[in-house]
Amino acid sequence: MKKFLRQGVAAAAACVLWTCCYSQSLTISGSIKNNATQDVLPAVSVAVKGSTAGTFTNEKGQFRLEFNGVLPITLVFSSIGFETREQVVNSLSRTVEVSLVPASTLGQEVVVSASRVPQRILESPVSIERVSAAAIRNSPAASYYDVLANLKGVDVITSSLTFKTPSTRGFNASGNTRLNQIVDGMDNQAPGLNFSVGGVVGLTELDVDNIELLPGASSALYGPGGMNGTILINSKNPFKYQGLSFEVKEGIMNTDAKFRELSPYHNWTMRWAQKVSERFAFKVGMELVAAKDWLGYDKRNYARTGTNGAVIPGDRATDPNYDGVNVYGDETTIDVRSNVFPGIAGQAPFLKGFLDTLNHGRPMNVSRTGYNENEVVNQNTLNYKVSGSLNYKLSSRTEAILAGHWGTGNTVYTGSDRYSLRGLKIGQYKLEINNPNWMLRAYTTQENAGESYNATVTTRLLNEAWKPSGGSTGWYAQYAQAYIGARLNGQGDFAAQTAARAMADIGRPAPGSDQFNSLLNQVRSVPISKGGGLFIDKTNLYMLEGQANLSPYTNKVADIIIGASFKKYVLNSEGTLFADSTTKIPINEYGAYAQASRSFLHDVLKLQVSGRYDKNQNFKGRFTPRATLVLKVAENNNLRFSFQTAYRFPSTQQQWINLDVGSNTKLIGGNKNFWDFYNLNNTTYELSASNPPRVTTSPYQLKESKPESVTTYEIGYRGLSFQHRLLIDAFAYYGEYSDFLYRTLLVQPFSGNVNDVVIALANNVPASNVGRIFSIPANTTSKVKTYGWGISLDYSLPLNFQVSGNLSSDNLKDDGGFRSAFSTPKYRSNITLANSGFGTGKRLGFNLTWRWQDAFYYESDFANGNVPAFSTVDAQVRYKIPDTRTAIKIGANNLLNQYYINGTGNSFIGGLYYVAFAYNVF
Amino acid sequence: MASVFHRLKKIAWLPVLVAGVLASCNKVDYLPVPLAVPGTAAGKTVAQVLAATPGDSLYYRLVVRSGILTANPATIIDSSLRFTMFVPDNAAMKVFINAISGGAVPLAAPDAVFSGFISANIPVASAVGLVSYNIVPQSLTTASFPSTFPNLQYPTILNPAPTLSALLRLTTFPSKRPGFAWVNNVPLTAADNVTANNGVIHEVAAVVVPPSASLWARISTDPDMTYYKAAVIRADSGTAAAPSTVGTLQGYLDNIGANFTVFVPKDSAMRATLTGQITLALIAQGVPPANAAATAAALAASPAVFSNPALYGALPPRLVQGIVAYHILPIRAFTVNLPPAPTVFYTLIGGPPGISVQAVFAGPVVSSATVKGQGNATASRVLLDPTPGTGKSDQNATNGVLHKIDQVLLPQ
Repeated sequence: MKKFLRQGVAAAAACVLWTCCYSQSLTISGSIKNNATQDVLPAVSVAVKGSTAGTFTNEKGQFRLEFNGVLPITLVFSSIGFETREQVVNSLSRTVEVSLVPASTLGQEVVVSASRVPQRILESPVSIERVSAAAIRNSPAASYYDVLANLKGVDVITSSLTFKTPSTRGFNASGNTRLNQIVDGMDNQAPGLNFSVGGVVGLTELDVDNIELLPGASSALYGPGGMNGTILINSKNPFKYQGLSFEVKEGIMNTDAKFRELSPYHNWTMRWAQKVSERFAFKVGMELVAAKDWLGYDKRNYARTGTNGAVIPGDRATDPNYDGVNVYGDETTIDVRSNVFPGIAGQAPFLKGFLDTLNHGRPMNVSRTGYNENEVVNQNTLNYKVSGSLNYKLSSRTEAILAGHWGTGNTVYTGSDRYSLRGLKIGQYKLEINNPNWMLRAYTTQENAGESYNATVTTRLLNEAWKPSGGSTGWYAQYAQAYIGARLNGQGDFAAQTAARAMADIGRPAPGSDQFNSLLNQVRSVPISKGGGLFIDKTNLYMLEGQANLSPYTNKVADIIIGASFKKYVLNSEGTLFADSTTKIPINEYGAYAQASRSFLHDVLKLQVSGRYDKNQNFKGRFTPRATLVLKVAENNNLRFSFQTAYRFPSTQQQWINLDVGSNTKLIGGNKNFWDFYNLNNTTYELSASNPPRVTTSPYQLKESKPESVTTYEIGYRGLSFQHRLLIDAFAYYGEYSDFLYRTLLVQPFSGNVNDVVIALANNVPASNVGRIFSIPANTTSKVKTYGWGISLDYSLPLNFQVSGNLSSDNLKDDGGFRSAFSTPKYRSNITLANSGFGTGKRLGFNLTWRWQDAFYYESDFANGNVPAFSTVDAQVRYKIPDTRTAIKIGANNLLNQYYINGTGNSFIGGLYYVAFAYNVF
Repeated sequence: MASVFHRLKKIAWLPVLVAGVLASCNKVDYLPVPLAVPGTAAGKTVAQVLAATPGDSLYYRLVVRSGILTANPATIIDSSLRFTMFVPDNAAMKVFINAISGGAVPLAAPDAVFSGFISANIPVASAVGLVSYNIVPQSLTTASFPSTFPNLQYPTILNPAPTLSALLRLTTFPSKRPGFAWVNNVPLTAADNVTANNGVIHEVAAVVVPPSASLWARISTDPDMTYYKAAVIRADSGTAAAPSTVGTLQGYLDNIGANFTVFVPKDSAMRATLTGQITLALIAQGVPPANAAATAAALAASPAVFSNPALYGALPPRLVQGIVAYHILPIRAFTVNLPPAPTVFYTLIGGPPGISVQAVFAGPVVSSATVKGQGNATASRVLLDPTPGTGKSDQNATNGVLHKIDQVLLPQ
């Protein structure tokens, strides 16, 4: 009995002891270093093997893990770029000291966006590009947004220093609406202005964890809009990336003063993240960019009014009707012969016969004198971004995030005109709860165009405010009288035009003068709807979406995820941009998607099918399917095949814009309400896309706009070879666009007789002289076909050297017989030579990138023209000081200061040279 | 390791060099391409060509006399400008000088006498007027002359009232028909001399004299147009506007902006027509024909017939206005501009019935010209005498041309 009792007591004690041991709270501390450099390693995952417990190292490479359990335990240390290491911990008496061995990252990166679930990039079922924080850190690009330009198949349209629009697979445009940009799960498109504001309002550079780019159709997973791709930018989680970090980048631009005087470039950014407890962490970040912007300096003459637009010969001195691409105010033009001479002949009838003979009886179109871009567009680009989040772990696997990104500043955007976005403010705020198996997110985008104005409209109105065009004493009357006087003195047409302009321009406000500034400020502060140049846009977007991963319940059959979203736009431009002068315009969209994945033949084959249905209140619902197949041909070598579809609803502007763009031309949306308002039925005739345009003599048959869609077939290969030193990625695609959305010009003859337009065009008279022009959205009835391919090679050389190169091509096979604005170079290439650490302590690093793209013809609402081929060199050298966790960088974008443009009418991009000091940038 | 690093350092320049070479040739177009502008052609100006033409020496002397060669701003000496000059040769100049000298300078006098007369006796202001009126700003070859009725009204460089308007100009009227060309009613004898770098020279058969007075000034002072003058005044009496202002016939006929052709019936024609019309009216009132004719002749014996209150009923302003307007074409037609076949043109009335005009040419000269109202039994003759200022046909005024005719034009 005693024995029994002793045994019982012992057993009970053992149980108690065991229970005590089991429930013991263990605190394990340690630090992790780079085995090669002995640098501390922040943001390394420290996980307890066989458990969900884990933490990350802080900015000093230290970790502190609280864990309920008993020793010994096995800790797993992992970080991209290092070999994963396990270490058994038997005692709490000593801190854990671990060194991780660097490893090649080629093909090992994990992407999420390709399937909405994490997977190695090697196994992605569709083409995908990824930019890591390390790549951003080591890139010579002055901004992380610029790194995108070096990715395979990516084109960038640069409207200004801080306004860049990446595009893939054709149809490049400033503010491309066919490419989604999603930042931390939030659609980054300004809901009213329709352009993504990633460079202006998105994440601060130090908070970017990674960028994933899905070229091509991607609506099946990410909803309408992803016709040509989706960019997903993800921020750093404050639980993982902790501490204070900052970078001060000081540089110079416009060094040769070719277009603008030498000017400084400032880019200051900071981030502070703190894990307050195992459950709560927060982060804040700020970034300030200030510079004198790149200048739109294309002074070539442009045939704009009533035509489809083309660069033509002539300058201000030799063409009375000169209209410079980046010269503003000179869009105001009239035929002096038919509009002014008759009035003078009425007063001086003895001149009538003479006046009739001038210019050989042809129209004498004269434009008003314009101002250069640097004179009317705010040249001080300024971008101030603030972002932050509060992260709370509801459980070890469920995290609630309250986050916000807010940005303001001045930049320049190219739409139907050049816009000076001044005091633009956009905020994005979200509440998100995520779990490995589900996610719920609500966010809003709050847009305020601030004091933004249209450069063309504003400058034209500035001219009018100084001296009205019309009237018996107006600019044109003065011009005509001086012209006639000069002709009566024997001067030829050229000399008389010159003399007339000099006379009419007497007293013209000098750029920068008090008078000029006063008029400019006066005009730009008045809303467009009230005769000024200011556009007001307070459009907001509200979005609610959720996703569930049903795989834990369905994985015996397939891994399944489902999701749904509701989106609401509230257009509010107070009549300056949209037809909303009397009331705000709400637009609702909702959608749902599902995806099923299953592997076959021991993961040799992986099949994935997806589908998404979306409905916009103004359009019929659309279903977009996607199917992918990944075939493992060898370990780390996969072939991928995909069939993808995508579509987009006409943008909010394509639905409701109502903007007078001058020259008797109105940009309107496709909503049926416009038809009655402007009496378009049977009164309008289509102008062809040819130069010079022709007019169709039968009335234009108005049709409601439909969503456009694309179907893409793609084959690709991604694999590692040469002992995992060489990563090859190649793809080829073919796409067919249906119901392609484009804009077409209609003319509504003043007389109601289309023959007036026919005669005018036959005499090289702009259609706008004899009718009102409407630019309206339309869908093609024919298909637009594109195809392309790309290949990239990344090779790891010894001593941390790496060489990378890519070449890609996009082609328009069939434009469907209309102006499709493909605007894309046939070929482009990047070659990069980099080293992540060499020299003593591997403290030195460099990156040298050469980028080239082919010439192409650029078409846009603002300007069309040839974009010459160009190449640039970006370079950076950096030196790390591990002891202080600092680094010094010297870099250059466009090292040789070879100016280039990537879209007609956009900014001329020159060299930017900087020195940066970074602290704790990991 | 170190050796590898050093080796790498030695070749590090290579990629930089390659990248630099590849990126060193961007070409971006941003400057506008100027259009071709007319340059200054080499050669002589019209002034120099004129100076070098012996047959035009007298006109050149007139040009020198006018001071136009030294005027500021420069005109015909400026190679960048363009002009057309109508130049009478020496023979034409001698006729002109002979006329204005009242025969004091005989046609057979040596050139030096004519030249001396020009320099000493033609006032500078007159020389300026003569020369300026014969210069058209722009190069006009006969190819650009109209061959359609009646001509091209083209401004000269002569501004008769610069203070009134900088754009005011007296105008000339180039025209052409197959084989011939004219300025106003003066034939071109040698056209289209384009040897000058700044214009065209047309030799003309006579000095083209600038008009110095308005149509109304001529009508109101010509002793053989007193009836027409009285008719105009009677016509205007029916308007509310003050005499000689806009809205009255006097105003139109005096307005420098107008451009009319007035066929003025000579007084005897007006008298005869009025006598006949009044006679018929009196007979219709029961007056015996013999008495009626005598009474009518007495009533129409002077232009006061239009201001006789007793005849206000027979000659109401609106009727008279119609008669006057029926004699006016709203465009300037010299006799050389009249078509060779009878052709109807609307008058100032603005619509039917028009008047039928015709000219018969002998070479570049009109040998006869007629104009016929729709109510006339026969065509009225234009009394040909183009002597400037005192003649009867082609009397060029600042605002039109006047032809005297031998019948009153009757619309019905």
